[in-house]
Amino acid sequence: MAPSSTQQVLLSPAELSYLHTSLSLNPPVRPDARTSSQFRPLIAETDILPGTNGSARICFADGTEAIVGIKAEVEKSRPSYQASADRNVAEDDDDEEDEETRRDEQVAKEKKGLNEWVEMSVEIPGFRDDDSMPVFMAAMLSEALLADGAFTNRLWINRRFHWKLYLDILLLSQPLSYPLPLLSLTTHLALLSTRIPRLKSEEDEDPLFDDDWAASVFLYPRTEALIRPPVTLLVMSVGDNIIFDPTKEELAVAESVLAVSVGERPQEKGQGDMDVDSGKPVRDLRLLAVRTIDPPSRLTPAGVPNTLNTATGGTAAGTTEQASSKRETMEEEGVWQPPRGGAKRKLIAAMIQAVLARGGVAEEVLDGLDAVELG
Amino acid sequence: MAITILPPAPAYLEPQDDISSDDSDVDGGVDLEGDSGMRPSKRARHSSDQELVTPGEIVTDDPQWMRGHGTYVAPSTTEIVATVAGTVQRTNKLLSVRPLRARYTPEIGDLVVGRIVEVQSKRWRVDVGAPVLASLPLSAINLPGGILRKRTETDELQIRTFFSEGDLLVAEVQSLYADGSASLHTRSLKYGKLRNGVFMSVSGTGGGGGVVRSRRQVWTIDTVHGGGKVDVILGVNGYIWISKHIEVVGGDTAITRIEESVSSTVYSSQNDEIAPETRREISRIRGVIEILVQEGLRVDEDMVMKGYEAAVEVDSENQGESNAYLGGEAGKSLIRLLSAT
Repeated sequence: MAPSSTQQVLLSPAELSYLHTSLSLNPPVRPDARTSSQFRPLIAETDILPGTNGSARICFADGTEAIVGIKAEVEKSRPSYQASADRNVAEDDDDEEDEETRRDEQVAKEKKGLNEWVEMSVEIPGFRDDDSMPVFMAAMLSEALLADGAFTNRLWINRRFHWKLYLDILLLSQPLSYPLPLLSLTTHLALLSTRIPRLKSEEDEDPLFDDDWAASVFLYPRTEALIRPPVTLLVMSVGDNIIFDPTKEELAVAESVLAVSVGERPQEKGQGDMDVDSGKPVRDLRLLAVRTIDPPSRLTPAGVPNTLNTATGGTAAGTTEQASSKRETMEEEGVWQPPRGGAKRKLIAAMIQAVLARGGVAEEVLDGLDAVELG
Repeated sequence: MAITILPPAPAYLEPQDDISSDDSDVDGGVDLEGDSGMRPSKRARHSSDQELVTPGEIVTDDPQWMRGHGTYVAPSTTEIVATVAGTVQRTNKLLSVRPLRARYTPEIGDLVVGRIVEVQSKRWRVDVGAPVLASLPLSAINLPGGILRKRTETDELQIRTFFSEGDLLVAEVQSLYADGSASLHTRSLKYGKLRNGVFMSVSGTGGGGGVVRSRRQVWTIDTVHGGGKVDVILGVNGYIWISKHIEVVGGDTAITRIEESVSSTVYSSQNDEIAPETRREISRIRGVIEILVQEGLRVDEDMVMKGYEAAVEVDSENQGESNAYLGGEAGKSLIRLLSAT
């Protein structure tokens, strides 16, 4: 379980109880009156850092802000012993006609990228780079990026060289709420805006690139319809309500928190079915990763009901065991009880379904990010 | 649409001016009235509250000016350097910089909302948004039941039953210590522990928009859509509490009886039953205050009431389901309505 958010927000039991009851109503009443799947407006721009291959900045409404810079570097590929062994076998073979086809097959096989070609670093103010928080963030983000195994293939240049991609993710503000969705959306935009120089050399020559930046190619070419980097969204539940884009106060009363990573399946040409109503191609979303996040609500102290509070005319329990057993058996309205136990399996399925469903939240977020002007 | 993504808006609109290129700061300072009268065009352009300076920026090197708050003069120079980001203010020959954002500086008699961060043996330390924590001595609170007596060791042992870490309270600044920290008291029926509502924090008195000191910091709003009465407490320190209004039980107004009837629940941390309609209206009021702060407007009774009426109007104009959310379009039309009045 990934560590819970940042600093503990200090809330009184009365506030926690108010928030929890409000959020478990049907429909939930959020403190800022949003609907349960509504996001706060955010501000986004791309290509802000001139020295990088791609960059983006996103500013959330609560004041948290992140920038991501992506730098690509040509690196010599490690010789693969597996591949050379295959080649020896191929050389022994005298059959001339098969040479060409075998070569093609081999190139296709060798075009496979390695996960180590992507290096991700997350910096959060107030945390050391070996603290669990940035490490977990980087792991969750790179897990989503590398999950389908297709991303690193884009970095292949030829059999001897490849691009090494450095993703530097920097949170500019204090981590007020759990910063994972912010960092993920910013990385998504930065990857969309990443351009690499056009290759001029052929085959296994030393790579030579076009020095005209205007001729550079996008890492995610616009011609490939609807293939986009993954996004990670934060979903929380209170009672049976599923709530998106939680603020730090809402996270403080969450019963379970999930980080859901969603990617798009590459579509075969002509196979992409069109939506009859809107005429735009339907996204073929798939789940890449789900991580549970330790909800901070478990660490909060429980509220004291009036009947156990000497200051309100009640009688305090003798020992702490008595107090907790009395409190937990009591079904009193308006008293904060930190959640116990895990989330129900059905609820987790419903949370994932709400993200992935056609016309669901992930689709709307991806549509929104597509509309951001690049460059 | 669940998500709105906006392009960044320019933070500050540069006034369209042809001469803006040649009047760059040659003498490294904002020109002041005492400067040579060579560039009347520029002086005319600046209204006095547009002169933004950043920490370390030289405001002037003219020795005729005296330094005030928010400025600094390095030894053996005459340059006045800003120490805070803010606007330059001149009072006769006194030059001071008014910060854009500042922490709250307590003053005696201020009504503040605070949060307990530490419990000590005879007092609580309270976060009131000031540079240092305020303190609330055990002797400065009302005991439950309204009994007036000396505080004993039993009370000291039970200190957490009155207030414990995280609890919110409304109090008054009773006195100030030499280091600028405040000593609070809650010895009135108006003050005490807070429940049945939501907390929000905006910038307090000291800079820009936010809560300002006014005639009434606490009042009750009669909300629409069956929300009932809602109390709003605007702490001078920028901490705000919005809660359901609780009627005094029995309606007994005898001065000696009030204490008994009210104070049995003074230290309760259990919420009463709050209807969903009331919760929705509380969220709406919270949204209104958030918008006021975003727009840099002052937050006081008058503005909050106007904003709330405008928000209800905006909501009723919208077809379809009633939604109290004030982000995006609804917020913009609210600001239009507010600026029209």
